[in-house]
Amino acid sequence: MIRKFLALILALPVASTLAREEPRIDFNEQIRPLLTKNCTTCHGGVKKAGDVSFLYREDVLGKGESGRPVVVPGKPGESELLRRIRTDDPDDRMPPPDHHPEPLPPGDVALFEKWIAQGAEWGDHWAYVKPTEPARPEVKDPAWPRTSFDHFILARLEAEELKPAPPAPPADWLRRVSLDLTGLPPTLEERDAFETAAAQDLEQAKAEAVDRLLASPTYGEHLAAMWLDLARYSDTFGLEKDPHRDIWPYRDWVIRAFNEDLPFDLFTIKQLAGDLIEDPAPDDLIATAFHRNTQNNTEGGTDDEEWRMAAVMDRVSTTWTAWNATTFACVQCHSHPYEPIPHEDYYRFLTLFDQSEDIDQNNDWPKTKVAHDPARQGEAVALEKEIATTRKALNNRAREVAGQIKDWSLFKSTSAAAQPDTGKVAQNDQGDFLSSGTNPTRAVFTLTGEASPFAALRFQILPLSDDPKQWEEQGAVASQIEAHLVKSDGSRTVISFSEVVADFLAGPYDPNDSLKKGASGFGEFPTMKQPRTAWLVPTEPVVPAEGDQLELTIRHAAVCNGNNQNCVLRRFSVELSNDPSLVSFLNRPERAAAWQTLDELRKRYQAIPGMTIPVMRERSEAARRPTRLFIRGNRSTLDELVQPGLPTLFGEKAKAADRLDMARWLVGPDNPLAARVLANRLWASMFGIGLVETLEDFGSSGTLPSHPELLDHLALRLRDHHQWHLKPFLREIALSATYGQDNKTDSSLLQRDPRNRLLARGPRQRLTAEMVRDQALVVSGLLTEQVGGKPVYPPQPDGIWRSVYNGQTWTTSTGPDRYRRAIYTYRKRTSGYPAFLTFDAPTGDVCTARRIATNTPLQALVTLNDPAHLEFAQALARRMAAHAPDLPPRLAHGWEIVTLEVPDPETLDTLTRLYQDALAEIKANPGDTAKLADSPEQAALVLVANTILNSDAALNR
Amino acid sequence: MIDASQQLQHDHLQHQTRRHFLHQGSLGLAGMWLASQSGTVSAASLAKDPAQPFAPAPSHFAPKAKRVIYLHMAGGPSQLELFDHKPELTKYDGKDCPAEFLEGKQFAFIQGVPKMLASVFPFHQAGQSGQWISDRLPHFEKVIDEVCVIKSMWSDQFNHAPAQLLLHTGSQNPGSPSAGAWTTYGLGSENQNLPGFIALTSGGKNPDAGKSVWGSGFLPSVYQGVQCRSEGDPVLFLGNPEGVSRNLRRRSLDALSELNQRIATEVGDPETLTRIAQYEMAFRMQMHASEAFDISKEPKHVHEAYATQPGRESFANNCLLARRLAERGVRFIQLFDWGWDSHGTGPNTDLRDGFVKKCQEIDQPIAALLTDLKQRGLLDDTLVIWSGEFGRTPMRENRGGKTMRNVGRDHHPAAYSLWMAGGGVKPGFSYGETDPLGYEAAIDPVSAHDLHATLMQLLGFDHKRFTYPFQGLEQRLTNVTKSSRILHEVIA
Repeated sequence: MIRKFLALILALPVASTLAREEPRIDFNEQIRPLLTKNCTTCHGGVKKAGDVSFLYREDVLGKGESGRPVVVPGKPGESELLRRIRTDDPDDRMPPPDHHPEPLPPGDVALFEKWIAQGAEWGDHWAYVKPTEPARPEVKDPAWPRTSFDHFILARLEAEELKPAPPAPPADWLRRVSLDLTGLPPTLEERDAFETAAAQDLEQAKAEAVDRLLASPTYGEHLAAMWLDLARYSDTFGLEKDPHRDIWPYRDWVIRAFNEDLPFDLFTIKQLAGDLIEDPAPDDLIATAFHRNTQNNTEGGTDDEEWRMAAVMDRVSTTWTAWNATTFACVQCHSHPYEPIPHEDYYRFLTLFDQSEDIDQNNDWPKTKVAHDPARQGEAVALEKEIATTRKALNNRAREVAGQIKDWSLFKSTSAAAQPDTGKVAQNDQGDFLSSGTNPTRAVFTLTGEASPFAALRFQILPLSDDPKQWEEQGAVASQIEAHLVKSDGSRTVISFSEVVADFLAGPYDPNDSLKKGASGFGEFPTMKQPRTAWLVPTEPVVPAEGDQLELTIRHAAVCNGNNQNCVLRRFSVELSNDPSLVSFLNRPERAAAWQTLDELRKRYQAIPGMTIPVMRERSEAARRPTRLFIRGNRSTLDELVQPGLPTLFGEKAKAADRLDMARWLVGPDNPLAARVLANRLWASMFGIGLVETLEDFGSSGTLPSHPELLDHLALRLRDHHQWHLKPFLREIALSATYGQDNKTDSSLLQRDPRNRLLARGPRQRLTAEMVRDQALVVSGLLTEQVGGKPVYPPQPDGIWRSVYNGQTWTTSTGPDRYRRAIYTYRKRTSGYPAFLTFDAPTGDVCTARRIATNTPLQALVTLNDPAHLEFAQALARRMAAHAPDLPPRLAHGWEIVTLEVPDPETLDTLTRLYQDALAEIKANPGDTAKLADSPEQAALVLVANTILNSDAALNR
Repeated sequence: MIDASQQLQHDHLQHQTRRHFLHQGSLGLAGMWLASQSGTVSAASLAKDPAQPFAPAPSHFAPKAKRVIYLHMAGGPSQLELFDHKPELTKYDGKDCPAEFLEGKQFAFIQGVPKMLASVFPFHQAGQSGQWISDRLPHFEKVIDEVCVIKSMWSDQFNHAPAQLLLHTGSQNPGSPSAGAWTTYGLGSENQNLPGFIALTSGGKNPDAGKSVWGSGFLPSVYQGVQCRSEGDPVLFLGNPEGVSRNLRRRSLDALSELNQRIATEVGDPETLTRIAQYEMAFRMQMHASEAFDISKEPKHVHEAYATQPGRESFANNCLLARRLAERGVRFIQLFDWGWDSHGTGPNTDLRDGFVKKCQEIDQPIAALLTDLKQRGLLDDTLVIWSGEFGRTPMRENRGGKTMRNVGRDHHPAAYSLWMAGGGVKPGFSYGETDPLGYEAAIDPVSAHDLHATLMQLLGFDHKRFTYPFQGLEQRLTNVTKSSRILHEVIA
């Protein structure tokens, strides 16, 4: 089916392909676009006007509200669709005349008729069908192809009667491939070595050059730039205060992963589910920071649950965009308007991301330790895991015992009071305590009632409503619970508790903390999603004397929603039991020893020097959040519970119970998309445009592939042949004849193929934002070659950073850090580095799958005037001056360093005249030219260097 | 050098090459994928030259407003101390807030049961139109007859950053284009030597939502607002580096043009010619922008009228700049003034103190701006909009559940005031009302999406047909997932 694709998107005036006789109508090629364009807006996944939809075959073959079958295969005359698009009756005609004054063109109507007459064969959208290895096309010139890819390109060129361009000059090719694989241009020495080797054996020299580039650590730094766009990487939280976030070890992990050529399946699994791998490698938790690059709202009063959910939804859409180029975010509010993805599927998938612990806290909890000494990372990860397991086991064992106790009796209060008295607490007829009025953060509730003997106290925090669909309130935490026996004379005896056992452990607070001061303690934080139960166990059974009163004091201190709103209990209950089983269980010596072990583990963990970064951490099975479908995508209107899963579109085998399953499916053989999407992305990084231009959208609203068979071949080559290794895949592209072509063109070819979709010439791309800086660092000789580490602060104008309530300032780096590659520049979401933004770098707010290169006057101002770029020009001028005492070799050297080409006489003439004019001008009007350089001669050279760095030859590859 | 016919041919190719950038569609710009899928892209004609994204472009119908000056008071100024006169609220002053106002509601800082708070300042009727106004804007009330006040604005975001994003982009999450980006995408700019969309800030801070409020979202990045500054270069990197005179720059650009034209001839990439043109535009921008931002040459009476002090960052200076930029054909001028978050947590946010000073800072400059625009004949086709991102509660803030020493109000999305002037809006008109206690927009409530639909209408666009394809949807400023209505009642 894919074979039938014509690259209609090229819109090339190629009569041969367009006028070809069509024996059979192809649904995907001819009918689906008509449906998408004319019908699915009203008859699709969002609207199903007249109960008719054109998304699924079953619907099209069914009946609409009129009772007539929409399409009867083989029988155009009985198909309502055809009657409606043909009729003159304005009440019946489709598309309706009020919105579409013109009826469908007769040609389109004829296509529909022919399609139905031929049996109305349905086809799935190309991208949802698994790729199959196409036959290698025959070519007339078998000498041209260097790789399997070239056969596909050449066969197409031959069909279009186009000839490939001659090979690029060796220096051009070397500069192009160096920038495309490492983001840095080659040095003159590298060029010379390459040209010497190429004179002996060009192909051998190319292979060696590519191997050298792929082995360079600069390769990983370059590839990381692409991935960090998708990861919406940033060194800050985003939004109002936009505070600093320590997450750069994740950036370094990405660089390392590319440099080690970690296969993409593992690269995927570690980032999406490194925390769920049975035996995680030391770095695997760091990798999960991928999905902690979501924004975090610390603004006072912002609803933590709302922003937690915003992060969860961002993870859903980022995952679909980055791996599968599918516009999944569409399905949040309704079934997909164009793709066969029903509304429930969104929430089934969302469930997979709804179980992580993070909750939009100002401290970015939960975090993992990144040891300063990488050798200790494994120890840190192992300890972290052991601590969590041990703590959970301690609670679970006691919880089992607690669950056995059946004889609970309600604690009845004779008085219940809130402090301060702006608030109230009272027990209702059912025995629940309810609070009302104004209860500030540190409200204290005191409940008093007749004391009876007890050996366990069951404490429940309840949602206000009994309807689970209404369960989503602000959190409620009992930060400290105290109990006293009070005698009639007022004397008081404190009851000491040994532990607070909880129904489950989740969130940042330990239930045991309810026994001491501080905000932490038992409760649901920051959002109340379900009833919670805890058991307070006294150190010994409590035996009150006659007439004793039991006084319970509940202190609050926790705050949620941007550290701003209270977590005071609104509804809770207290029950007592005299069953001593919990007391005896907790008083066993093994229990104390287990706590001791946990304490030691924690001490060992804390003793490892390091920093912490936010990571993904899963809630336990007992602590699962109940995920419900949001009616119309609105978090406050909940529908039925949904079970985790993958979109049904991908068939029976698409099953997932957690993130790990999901990650494995993404890179497994049953996902038709990921290999195509990645192969296309890598192709686009080398050629400037993907075979599918919309890197972000492979669905029916995206563009069709220009070379569908090549795309499938690339996908399978990457996934199956190279086993997801990127380096050998990129090596093949780099060594292909297609990539190696000269990129010069002429008017006739430009007319024929303006955007170089057919690749009858080599690629020519503007440098990326990162490359503009990095190239200047290399050619000026200033680059600090250091891989990884904290973000740095190259010069940026004063007054750029002015976030509210944020004292952080841009302190320009001095020394080697001033000259690090662009990828290490501090990334602030609400205020990006101006020079990069101007060259189309994204802000990091959301996943960016494709940068569209623009060409604007503001870019000219950056490379001409940015003080950082002036510094590069000054350093380049020093290199030029150091090269030779005479002017012509100095100028030629400057041009050569930047473009890798020896300047022709005209170019040298232009540069010479510029130098002489500038020198005369500087001497005539020295002004403050001394600020450019020590001498007028050197100042003129700075101007020349700045001009060379701004040339089109420098800014493109 | 290439000759004119070569140049023309290149321009044509350029045109084709960059067809992906701006496409035929509902406006003539969007809907490309549909066209591509049905194979009709070759028949598509371009509405504007993609090599010149800011070339003025035709709208759907004749616009009433040709440009916009948006005065955003970041933080949310109190409508109850400025435009929304609520005598009934006075009766409840100091009393507990009625339970129905609190049920199911969430506030940023208020806890429990707060007290009602009457307007701190007296109101009176002003101008021929007799619109109600407090005594805090004595200069502004002299131009009240030019102004249409909407008292029934509402938002569903009660925090600054999301509320600002909603108001300026139609979505509370970052990632959507701002109204200014949409406007320049649609209409281009009338002055090719200045950015088409300029943002100016005062109050010492960027907006809470950061630069996303003038961002381009999913539109091409050229449409993002260019933040211009009162100190240093008005446009980043506008000035030549120290030691590079304009003469030297001209010489280096001449050389650059020679080099690049040679490359264009040799390589044949039309982008090279665009680059030559962009460098020349940058050179012109250096002069034009510097001149546009130099307010020191304005006569004394102008400085007196606006209360401007050249060389300082101030809202007053930005108002004068707004007029100068409007005069020069800049399409969308966005002013952000920070410091209106009157919580009453200290003197600066006390309605009786910090708020009064903020009013003084804007009162005279805004009056001068409207008067000046009118005198120059610019007010007819310049739409001036003033608002915060939400309003403030009719209750007094009780942070931590306690009575605070200073007087303030909490964030309040349920009601706020906005005014518009010029640009085809009914002058001396008042639209919408809140309930008697000023709690909720009660009559003719207006959402950000309604405002956007109206703004597009005034600029000559049918907001439903003014779209851009992204994430599989024909996206629009008025947010396809939300309802919106054009406020025909306020259009003159």
